[in-house]
Amino acid sequence: MIPALDILLIVALLWLARQALVARDLFKGVVLFIAFGLLLALAWVRLRAPDIALAEAAIGSGLTGALFLSTLGRLRRMEREAGQAEPPPEDGRRGGWTGGFLTAAGTVLVTALLGWAVWALPAGAPGLGDAVQARLGESGVSHRVTAVLLNFRAYDTLLEVGVLLVAIVAVWAVARADFPFVTRNAEAGSVPPQQTALVNLLVPVMLVVAGYLLWIGATAPGGAFQAGAVLGGAGVLLLLSRPHWAVLPERRWMRTGLAAGLLVFLGVGLALVIAGRRLLEYPAGWAGALILLIEAAVTLSIGLTLTLLFLGGRPAAGDPAPTMTHTNQQP
Amino acid sequence: MSGFALGAAVLLLLTLVAGMVRVVRGPTAADRMLAAQLFGTTGVAVLLLLVLAGGGSVLLDVALVFALLAAVVGVAFARRGIAAPQPGRGGGHERE
Repeated sequence: MIPALDILLIVALLWLARQALVARDLFKGVVLFIAFGLLLALAWVRLRAPDIALAEAAIGSGLTGALFLSTLGRLRRMEREAGQAEPPPEDGRRGGWTGGFLTAAGTVLVTALLGWAVWALPAGAPGLGDAVQARLGESGVSHRVTAVLLNFRAYDTLLEVGVLLVAIVAVWAVARADFPFVTRNAEAGSVPPQQTALVNLLVPVMLVVAGYLLWIGATAPGGAFQAGAVLGGAGVLLLLSRPHWAVLPERRWMRTGLAAGLLVFLGVGLALVIAGRRLLEYPAGWAGALILLIEAAVTLSIGLTLTLLFLGGRPAAGDPAPTMTHTNQQP
Repeated sequence: MSGFALGAAVLLLLTLVAGMVRVVRGPTAADRMLAAQLFGTTGVAVLLLLVLAGGGSVLLDVALVFALLAAVVGVAFARRGIAAPQPGRGGGHERE
């Protein structure tokens, strides 16, 4: 039964990927991408990489899907404001033979190179698993992935957290917040009660799950990125359900929160340098506590980053009243 | 037990493939999105069956995240339906 499961997964993934690429209708492409993310998470489970499955389920499918829907809303609004009629969406290729041939050739070439790289690996090479296992006791955590991410290769993770901050700075630099969702029902003047009930139920659960994933990361798959993604999901739900929050002007705590993860991470590293150790070389006995401190701060920053990315740009400065162009025009 | 659970998981994946046809053919946005939402639910079920088949209890956490994040996409879609009524088309039922 296991081979049947795996073959079904592979065939479905390839088919979904192709359909998502050739879809001329962007909304269809987005939905196919969401479905692709869900199946990809199942594939990671089958590859026995539950850490990546968690991240893929939360970020790859859930939050990226919501971000794409947000982008699509902005695109539609821009088209409407420009007075363009929506082009009739039809599936199929448009690039002609040359484009199709080049794409196919490139894909085949990259696949062949990847296959060759895997084939060229020395057979039966142990990898670094044994080395990690041997020093696991000193890492402060008992889960190997967390030990690598936050201790043995903490420098890489530090830079990744920096990349996230750069991403939101770049988005804020090029765009103003323009929330493409109407957060009130035009007739009732409020969020529909079903949505309020759902969000009131889900957000506390998501906060607990985010805390759980952060804590369990020390001993099992989980950690800051997965916890931050769940936190970001809760933030997106709140933005969609609290009309006045989606138009909140920029506040100092937003910038502080966005930078908190990187600041704490760097702060710990520099404090260790001042204490005469190397960057992020945790003293014995302190590793577990320092990792938890860093991960907690990074979780908050990732959650806030993903939530604010959903607004599509930098929140308006100062008084919110004159900038509420789209959400306060209901009668 | 493990054989039965795996068989059921394969069956669920087959229903998922049937759902993909609906995502691709539509015709309305809601058809596509509801099928994708169904994938989330089916994914949770497949994960729980894999736990029964000895996949390890860590998959329960993956299933939890599946369920929570699928709701985010669902709510975002519902709000979008009201936000972007196409001229001459119904609110959440616009043809894509």
